[in-house]
Amino acid sequence: MPSHVPHSSGLQRLIAQLAPLLIVCAVVFALPVLLNNDFLLNKVARYLVLGILTVSLGLSWGFGGILNLGQAMSFGLGSYAMAMALKLKTVPVHTGASGLPDFMVWNNVQHLPWFWEPFRSLSFAIAAGLIVPALVAAALGWFMFRGRVTGVYVSIITLATMVVINLVIIDQQSYTGGFNGITDLAQLEIFGVAFDAYGRATYYLVAGCVLLSLLVAFAFTRTKAGLIVQAIRDHESRVRYFGYDVALYQIFVFALSAAIAGLAGMLYTVVMEFASPTFLGVQLSLSVVVWCAVGGRQSLVGAFLGAVLVAGMQGALSESAAFLETWTLVMGALFVLVVLFLPKGLAGLAQVVLRWIVQRRHAAGRGVAQGVGQTEGST
Amino acid sequence: MSSHLDLRDVSVSFNGFKALNALNMSVRKGELRCLIGPNGAGKTTALDIICGKVKPSAGTVSFDGTALQDLEEYEIARTGVGRKFQVPSVFRELSVSENLDVARARRTSVLGNLRWNIGNAGRADVERLAELVGLTDQLDRPAAYLSHGQTQWLEIGMLVAQDAELILMDEPTAGMTAQETRKTAELFARLKGKHTLIVVEHDMGFVKAIGDVISVMHMGQMLAEGTAAEVEAHPEVRRAYLGSGGISHA
Repeated sequence: MPSHVPHSSGLQRLIAQLAPLLIVCAVVFALPVLLNNDFLLNKVARYLVLGILTVSLGLSWGFGGILNLGQAMSFGLGSYAMAMALKLKTVPVHTGASGLPDFMVWNNVQHLPWFWEPFRSLSFAIAAGLIVPALVAAALGWFMFRGRVTGVYVSIITLATMVVINLVIIDQQSYTGGFNGITDLAQLEIFGVAFDAYGRATYYLVAGCVLLSLLVAFAFTRTKAGLIVQAIRDHESRVRYFGYDVALYQIFVFALSAAIAGLAGMLYTVVMEFASPTFLGVQLSLSVVVWCAVGGRQSLVGAFLGAVLVAGMQGALSESAAFLETWTLVMGALFVLVVLFLPKGLAGLAQVVLRWIVQRRHAAGRGVAQGVGQTEGST
Repeated sequence: MSSHLDLRDVSVSFNGFKALNALNMSVRKGELRCLIGPNGAGKTTALDIICGKVKPSAGTVSFDGTALQDLEEYEIARTGVGRKFQVPSVFRELSVSENLDVARARRTSVLGNLRWNIGNAGRADVERLAELVGLTDQLDRPAAYLSHGQTQWLEIGMLVAQDAELILMDEPTAGMTAQETRKTAELFARLKGKHTLIVVEHDMGFVKAIGDVISVMHMGQMLAEGTAAEVEAHPEVRRAYLGSGGISHA
């Protein structure tokens, strides 16, 4: 008897694959009922946003085989898009109707730069928070994947590009707020709903986006294009000789991943109430890789939970007196252990355990059936 | 009648080594052509030239009137050329049915493939293909768990799934048991006529079982062409294989 589970229909398989995703989202939505603490809820919302960011990396790394070490670049671009719009909303209050954002005044800027102008519209800012990261990724991807750059070189190029953009933002202080980032923002307001960082509305906005991004990413992996992207991860040239333009598929998944990271970045600004160059920093970007690996890069839900759990643990450890000095060590040890013993992360572990349980059940069921057959035979 | 596939004076060199030296070959539609020759004769390179993996430094490759030598690999594949590699190349982390599904490249654009595979349109097609290559009970297993012979079969099945007009096979029976080799020969006999096949093989028993016309390559050139008996009797072929115990032991 082969060890795999017998044939199941497509619909059954779809439900089985969707179940963990929906359960996790249900827990996320139910959390405010159990957790009656706005400060804590804001913290959880922050981890959820980082979870979305990690899902986006899982899509390009786990499914597309593209290890983007600069995933935080897309995140940061999204974050700044949102911060620019929310900053402009404060102008009438801070510096008068025809004024400028406060940091520009301090830097002796006379006119609002042209690229700030369209961010007076919140809809534009939200669109930009998705489209700009996607376009930047597509352009970068066009150069890399058309040139058949693969593996570690992709990682180096993406990391370097992020560092460059980070430095430009820090350097252009008069237009970007420089090292301080863009702070002191107005509240996000959509259709009359105000999203206070410590309010439930913000939490549910984040939870809704968790569900949305997990579903979008899942839907993509279920399409034929998603399957081809995974095939490219396994054997790039084999895919090419079936007539698929491999570079276009890579560019697509790279850009889709960047758009989801951009969404996470926008939410991060809302939850944190500022945007900072550290949002597209090397430290965050590499942390995302660790979260993704721990959770399981080939599982969207795994990557999400990896981020929430490990980032949550990081938060707890770094604030506890006992681990104040050593928490980075604990995190490092965790990463090494997972890489050594759980190549598919916690999600892989969960799969093994589940399969084992199903097989035990199966074996038990067969045993009973045989017993019945025997008694029937004897009578 | 103009031929289906035409290689004219194709040359290619790697670091000064002339892998192909003004190679000429033409294949008719529906033919099953076997390509043999001693090691280093340029058989695999000839297939690489046709499918675009290697670009010729001189000469032309035309397939149904289309010049292939300037096209990208995926463009060549879209004209109807399929390739099986010497080292079995499958998608190890995908299941057997997913492997076959990827190979069914009816639509090739990204946006055209952004539709859900739910309901498994084409599942019947995949099952038919799996039956053809004897992998029906492996459909949901990752390809990484298949035996070497099964992996070879899966890749052959993927080429049938691709439904390419011209199929290039590089040592399809390497590592197969005698029984598996026999089944492969049967499958090829079925593909012949509907598809045009070029098969690089060392196993002369297999070549005799399937081949109409055998082309013998040596030192990057075409040495002889004909039936098995004709090429075996050919004096230059005998000379090329001298020292390796004759053609049957190549």
